[in-house]
Amino acid sequence: MSLTHLNSLQASIFSSLAIVSLLLTFVMLGSHWLRNYVYAFAVQSWLIAALSAAVGYFSGYPELYVIAALTALFRGLVLPYLLMRIVDRLHVKREIHAVLQPSSGLVVGAFLVMFAFVIANHMTRQTTSAAHVVVLALTIMLSMKFIGFLMLSVRDEAVSQILGLLVLENGIFLGSQILVPGMPLLIEIVILFDLLIVVACFGILVRYLVVHAGTTSSRQLNRLVG
Amino acid sequence: MILSNILLQIGQVLCVLLLAPLLQGFILKAEERVQRSRGPSILQPYRDLWKFFHKQSVVPESASWIYFIAPFVSFTAMLMVPLLIPVLTDRPLPLSNMGDLLGGGMVLTLGSFAIILAGLDTGNAYGGIGSSRTAMLAILAEPTLILVFVGISFLAKSMLPFVVNHLLLGSASAYWSPAHLFLILAFFALLLVETDRLPIHSSTHFEIYMIDEARILEYSGPLFALLKWASMMKQFILYTIFCNVFLLPWGMSQLGTPFGQLGSIASLLLKFLLIALTVVVVETVQSRLRFYRYQEPLAAAFLFAVLAIVSSQLL
Repeated sequence: MSLTHLNSLQASIFSSLAIVSLLLTFVMLGSHWLRNYVYAFAVQSWLIAALSAAVGYFSGYPELYVIAALTALFRGLVLPYLLMRIVDRLHVKREIHAVLQPSSGLVVGAFLVMFAFVIANHMTRQTTSAAHVVVLALTIMLSMKFIGFLMLSVRDEAVSQILGLLVLENGIFLGSQILVPGMPLLIEIVILFDLLIVVACFGILVRYLVVHAGTTSSRQLNRLVG
Repeated sequence: MILSNILLQIGQVLCVLLLAPLLQGFILKAEERVQRSRGPSILQPYRDLWKFFHKQSVVPESASWIYFIAPFVSFTAMLMVPLLIPVLTDRPLPLSNMGDLLGGGMVLTLGSFAIILAGLDTGNAYGGIGSSRTAMLAILAEPTLILVFVGISFLAKSMLPFVVNHLLLGSASAYWSPAHLFLILAFFALLLVETDRLPIHSSTHFEIYMIDEARILEYSGPLFALLKWASMMKQFILYTIFCNVFLLPWGMSQLGTPFGQLGSIASLLLKFLLIALTVVVVETVQSRLRFYRYQEPLAAAFLFAVLAIVSSQLL
């Protein structure tokens, strides 16, 4: 694995990109506004694209440049554009009935990061400087997954649920870029198109929801009808 | 010629005592200038203090001895903290290891606790509101403060402010480590809360949402002047900790020559200019939060402190 010979400059570039992506996840967790979620997701995707390019440059995987370009194009432009279209058409600007207020969400998120760190620390037992980057990547990957799950479970609006799924996926992608940079190109492309289809399907489902239930909040679906 | 340590320590206290109203005056002036009005003179807080010290004191009938000692307790507390922190010199002074950051925090909180008691003492409705609001804010801010201190002690293996300052001066990698940057963010949020600034405190005092002003509504004359001065000194002390211990540890006299002290004062004023302008920007772009959203900036600060601790374990 390429991680065994990282110098301190590379380690600091990787870790700062990963940490800023984690902060953007917290922007999503701590905001009321759907528009902010989409912006944060777009910026996060660009950061992950930069991370792929940096990994490709420093450890000599030219195919990672292609992946970086595809990530920036699809996750950074196409998906946010599609989501923004959904948000604009629904006339829903913010989460109204949050189960977890943004401030409590931030505190729960902080505890999830600690939990992720404990797990990551147990998984790696080396003490070289590369091991720090591994622990950091694992921590951030796990915490983004946990926060994605948290968003899926406490948010009601359909758009925030899509974004929870996308954050979860971004976390896995970020971790895989640092931990196993030589993943085959084909798999990455398949995942990207998968995401595109997920968002398109969700768009159709949300419109169906509006037509038949008259709302975009999944809370209304819990009620028994008929 | 090198000044003796005792002179330096007295100089630190005098510096905080005499320059605190200037900082307040500058922030008020800058806020007005941003809104394109002229604003009061920078020296206005000095004139206000002078005026209050020459006024008669009116005491409510319901006031007990707590009412009279609270201003002195809080003023004395603010005079003690500059002994513990690097204001003018980053040479460890003889009394500076009397208390670490936790000790300084305790003395600061003691001052604010005395004012809370005084607010409750007179039985005035506004005093009660102010005291209960301040107590709630203190409850929300305290966990973050403790976590910031824990983060510092992970970073520097010590809680003494002089040691933290020397560590940050000495190694650039410690300064730019994510743990330290997160600590700066967390402490900045605390700074805004503790120095009566938006997004929690309202920018105009004496209205229904007042928090800190409500506690001292019953005071007048010299006692009121002492309380105002103490709150300005608290602001100055917190800015000093933020600048000299966290954000900008450079530009302090190392040997303690008189010339070096003048240089330290100049650099301190320059640093405060930067921080005060940042605070003015925050105050201009932010609107005041509703009462039930007070915990949001504090939750963000808590999050930053937790992230700082996690990342200090990583590196």
